[in-house]
Amino acid sequence: MDQACQVARKQDLPPPGGYKPIPYKRIPAKTLFSGYTMFAGYFGITAFAMYLYSLNYKQIVRDQIEMRSAKMAIYPMLLAERDRAYLKQLRKNRDAEAELMKDVPGWEVGTYYGEKVYKLLPPDTLVEPIFHEYYAHSGTWEWFQRAYLKLRS
Amino acid sequence: MVITNDVTLPEYSELKTDEVKLSTGALLTASAFIGKQCEGVNNEFMLCRQEQNDPRACLEVGKQVTACAKEVLRRIRKECCQEFNQYANCVDKSSRDYTFRHCRKTQAIFDDCMRERLCLLRNDFGYFCRARIHKSSSDPPEPPPCPCHPKVEDATPSLPDCKPRKPARFGGRLYWCND
Repeated sequence: MDQACQVARKQDLPPPGGYKPIPYKRIPAKTLFSGYTMFAGYFGITAFAMYLYSLNYKQIVRDQIEMRSAKMAIYPMLLAERDRAYLKQLRKNRDAEAELMKDVPGWEVGTYYGEKVYKLLPPDTLVEPIFHEYYAHSGTWEWFQRAYLKLRS
Repeated sequence: MVITNDVTLPEYSELKTDEVKLSTGALLTASAFIGKQCEGVNNEFMLCRQEQNDPRACLEVGKQVTACAKEVLRRIRKECCQEFNQYANCVDKSSRDYTFRHCRKTQAIFDDCMRERLCLLRNDFGYFCRARIHKSSSDPPEPPPCPCHPKVEDATPSLPDCKPRKPARFGGRLYWCND
């Protein structure tokens, strides 16, 4: 057995002259700014950005005041117009309800067979109807347009 | 509906008036002059509206408000129509929220025209946002009745004083602590 395996063996050894030294020495990155400079830069840039922000903020506030002023100037006119349209629609709704329920015996307009919604209010008090009542006699499309006004604005 | 037949609603003929048929951009363009020229009647209307809290009570003043705005717009159209249209067009098309910031040049042209031909000056900045004192000629409304007096009768009135108050026949529920 020993004689059958007589092969020249070569031992794994370092290269002649030995291994090169391992470069373990730390190579720091090139320092562009010192710590104090970076702090100073941070505060400087932040201060400049805050200055720009304040300019922009003042501009936005000015625009808002101008727009609010313009809207408040025409608000009474729009409200007067809206009131007339609103009262017109209320009368239209009441007439439509009277027309719709004229065949129902015992039905009184604005009540449930004579039972009022608000019993303690004086009779001539205008109670603003809720949204669905206000749009009860209009088409689905008008209701949708008003209910989902935010989809269009 | 909560609107019964007892509620007085104005007739259509009472509600009919000459409305201002202008778009938002044009109204906002003219808003400074409308607001200044119609300040008294506008304040009167808003005061009425706040005090009465009822749109039916302020219809006449509301019509005056609309008529005043129409009068101002008519004067603008007569004297400064082109400048107004230019400015309104700019406000309408420069942004989607009718910002005036983009239209300073056309605004200056319009203001010059208003100053020279109509002797109307634009108010100082933010005039309509500030609180102003309005001396109203109308009387304040009657205060609401005192809420301390109930309007309806008590459904479970107490025993009249003349009735005898006998001790309870079977004692009280607190027999274990008050005897």
